[in-house]
Amino acid sequence: MTAQASPRTIRIEAMRFNPETDKEPSWKGYDVPFRDDMSVLQGLQYIKDHLDGSLTFRWSCRMAICGSCGMMVNDTPQLACHAFLRDYMPGPVRIEALDNFPVIRDLVIDQTSFLNKLEAVKPWLIPRAQRTPADGPNRQTPEQMQKYHAYAQCINCLLCYAACPQIGLKPDFAGPAALALMHRYNADSRDQGWPARAEMANAEDGVWGCTYVGECSEVCPKAVDPAHAINQNKANSALDYFGLGKKLAPSEGGQ
Amino acid sequence: MGRHQAVAKTYRRTRPVDWGRSVHRRRYMRRELTSVFLIAYALVLLSGLWRLSQGEAAFDAWRAAMSHPLALVGHAVIFVAALYQTISWFQVMPRTLPDSQIRPASITRAGWAAAAVASVLVLALFIVGGAK
Repeated sequence: MTAQASPRTIRIEAMRFNPETDKEPSWKGYDVPFRDDMSVLQGLQYIKDHLDGSLTFRWSCRMAICGSCGMMVNDTPQLACHAFLRDYMPGPVRIEALDNFPVIRDLVIDQTSFLNKLEAVKPWLIPRAQRTPADGPNRQTPEQMQKYHAYAQCINCLLCYAACPQIGLKPDFAGPAALALMHRYNADSRDQGWPARAEMANAEDGVWGCTYVGECSEVCPKAVDPAHAINQNKANSALDYFGLGKKLAPSEGGQ
Repeated sequence: MGRHQAVAKTYRRTRPVDWGRSVHRRRYMRRELTSVFLIAYALVLLSGLWRLSQGEAAFDAWRAAMSHPLALVGHAVIFVAALYQTISWFQVMPRTLPDSQIRPASITRAGWAAAAVASVLVLALFIVGGAK
């Protein structure tokens, strides 16, 4: 058993904003002792527990599953639990709220715009005919599941929105996660919902709002690849424009 | 849009988009910039077509202008930009195609190969045409 190295110290500079007293955010620095296995989230938790209890941030699972702790770490959208302090030595680490979102307090953003965009793409199965439990399981083959499985891994962490420059330019653009989840359902063999989602996909703020910078896919912690989802749907949108929408329906059945 | 209401009091950051923030953004901007050179070359060719419609003398004058050292330097710059555009576009092409079992690197290499074959064919036509 090797001796554990003594803790080192790194400076964390956190964006602070109190809506009750501040007109705009400011920066505050904290010297945080850390070991090699400590994440940026654990650094923030150390600050909250030992240095400044007023620092506000979202977190939950600590294992890149819940998508709560998205923030800008040295200008890069990251899950704080998925980034390690050792990689930012000698520091400082600058942490601020996710880009392209209004700030509620400190590192907490207002997700309302995303919730509305997500709902607009109808992210649920829209079958041709309504099913009941009496119909039994709605089966599909592994090949059919493979068509959408990667896109179903989205955890709504919103790193892709902070990475997307088009969201910064056009706040109404539906954005990477919502459009990736739209594709997740369009590509599902149990779903026949393209006509219901076509208006959103075809809109200026739909897939055509993307100019394919591709940074959304680079920052995604779950390898969802929103850029692929969006850009293959530009072809689908064009097919729909020429009245070839029927070709967009995934094959049904396949027990 | 939508039924969810925004939090009443928030701070909205208003800062210009930083296009140099990441390697991906810089790569994107370089790729998009090279397309401007392609448009410029299309305009050069169209101007040649327009001069051709005005008669032999006008077309010969256009060809003479194209032989000017500055025009040659311009063509060299456009060639490099077109080469970069070709390489970088096929690198990002896999994400524009439907999901498939084909590896993205294979799609990229197939694109490069198609571009190389097309270039050789055009060069061959030019050489054959020039020999006559």
